[in-house]
Amino acid sequence: MAAPLPVLASLSVMLEQRLIIVSGKGGVGKSALSVALALRAQRTGKRVLICAMTDQVGVALHLGADRLGYEPATFHGGIQAMAIDRAEALDEYIKIQLRMPAAAPTRALSRAMQVLADTAPGIREVITIGKPIFDVWQGHHDLVVVDAPPLGQLMSYLRAPAVVADLVPTGAVRDQARRMATMLVDPAQSLLVLITTPEELPALETAETLDELESDRLVTLGAVIANRVLPALDLPPERLGTLPDRPASEAAAHHLGLLELQESALSILPIDIRLPYLFGIHTPTEVSAQLADAWDDAL
Amino acid sequence: MNRPAILIVTGAGGVGKTTLSAGIAAVIARRAARTLVITVDPARRLADALGIAMLDGTTNRPTPVPGAGPLDAVMLDVTASWEAITRRHAKPEVADRLADNPYFRAVADRFPAAQAYAAGEQVAEFAQSGNWDVLVVDTPPAEGGIDFFMAPRRMRDLVGGRLLRWLTGARLPGRRIFYRTAARPMLRLADTLLGSALLEEIADFLLDLRALYDGLAARAAAIDRLLVQAKVLVATTDSPGAMREASRFFSSLPEINASPDALIFNRSLPDTWITARGPKGAGVEDAALRENMERWSLEARRNRDARLEMAARLAVPMATVPWLRHPPIDIAGLADLIDRAAGLTAILETVTA
Repeated sequence: MAAPLPVLASLSVMLEQRLIIVSGKGGVGKSALSVALALRAQRTGKRVLICAMTDQVGVALHLGADRLGYEPATFHGGIQAMAIDRAEALDEYIKIQLRMPAAAPTRALSRAMQVLADTAPGIREVITIGKPIFDVWQGHHDLVVVDAPPLGQLMSYLRAPAVVADLVPTGAVRDQARRMATMLVDPAQSLLVLITTPEELPALETAETLDELESDRLVTLGAVIANRVLPALDLPPERLGTLPDRPASEAAAHHLGLLELQESALSILPIDIRLPYLFGIHTPTEVSAQLADAWDDAL
Repeated sequence: MNRPAILIVTGAGGVGKTTLSAGIAAVIARRAARTLVITVDPARRLADALGIAMLDGTTNRPTPVPGAGPLDAVMLDVTASWEAITRRHAKPEVADRLADNPYFRAVADRFPAAQAYAAGEQVAEFAQSGNWDVLVVDTPPAEGGIDFFMAPRRMRDLVGGRLLRWLTGARLPGRRIFYRTAARPMLRLADTLLGSALLEEIADFLLDLRALYDGLAARAAAIDRLLVQAKVLVATTDSPGAMREASRFFSSLPEINASPDALIFNRSLPDTWITARGPKGAGVEDAALRENMERWSLEARRNRDARLEMAARLAVPMATVPWLRHPPIDIAGLADLIDRAAGLTAILETVTA
């Protein structure tokens, strides 16, 4: 049996890291939380970069942007954000990270790497997760927040550096991959934040990911966050039957029913932080701002 | 032999696709049509309701759902399907080599269209068996199901595509010729970075994969035709992400000459909540009821606005499924959910006619 994963749930400790990887089942609010984390870091005066790894729509919306480019753009008076473009990341990887001399036939090499990236296990993932790691190494930002792929794909990205270091027998690619793997497991530099909603399937998938992380310590767990948590309703369930049949009692029954599902979903997880369900209409930028504020109350 | 009607239920993850598919299949089977519901990754409770709980040997084998008329259910195991695809389209020795090849595993695990394609091949097999009048397909979770529709084309591209042609030439060359010509300068260069042994291994793999092409291309074309003829029901909730995903189906399916036939708006709230107020009393309970009503009236308004927006934007019939406080846990409950959905019975009659 592995010892329980260490957890650094405190926001101030989390924001001292260089790299925070945010993941969760699709649709639980990863992008909103990534932006909320970046907002909190910015308030403490940090230079922050948000890196959208495989899908940029969420981060763009929550920053109030149409789309993000590979070159970081600045939002909210300081937060930088970029989206990974695999072709550009590959190009940068070859030229800068592998330090190819200018005279090298990089086009041919780039095509060879492209074939590799589409077939060999881990190469594509290493190039993608490599980008935010390179940014940390370059030191342009104090903190890089990664809006990572959903849980189903997360482990293949986290494992990729180790897989590539094993697969590639020699050379710069292997050395680079080893350095990445070392950085990911270092609790003083990188951590993972998992988001779930209080529903059965997202909670189950989160629990499965926690099990995988227990046996395969690829990264330190920063926190497990429950998003869209419904407030308690101060009404004994047995009162429901006695209320006159009108919307208020229907809504109360609906709420109590959801609370039951919520508690049973969250009971299987070690939740560190609960963030509230936001009732009514909110723009994506309002959602991320409100979540950033709610973080204090949650602690 | 009559071709079965195929209903594909698709949409973003978390909108209740699997529940809706099971409910729709139960309602259709009640009308004595031989129905098969095909699912990929059901929640435990739902799998139990369908009698297809994760047990060895039950995947890919349709089993009768107890007490549900001529209704069968099957859970697809896409890993096993990959193996089957290889065996069907390649010589035994090539299939053996591929099955043991780490690159093949990596491609199978990662290439998103591969899972979806494997599901497509299975669906095609069930359709051709003649055992069912109606197939209800719950799409795989990847990319909200768009992959499911694009998969046949993408698979053809992967196995016969640009990268492979670049490595292997327009026609399939012998291994020796391949290493002597096309790949040499590239291999020399890669040698310094990776060691050429690695790249040669990958080239070997790509040549084997190329052997799948002819069979797979024909098969993919057949699946493509099947998907184009299928009726597509796009499911959504009022969540902005789910609505974005639903809209994507309406813009991207025409690329493959398909189009959604209906929109199913799941988890709708009663419009009567929008203007409702809680009790006026001063007691603690009344205050709690009042506050709760205020919250849910905001939600009901957002929910209605979302429905109106989707209905105005997408010119297809729309059904609204109520948000039940207790999710259905058995076949009767699943069918009941569909019966209570406004507009869904009419849609189902049209698409299965």
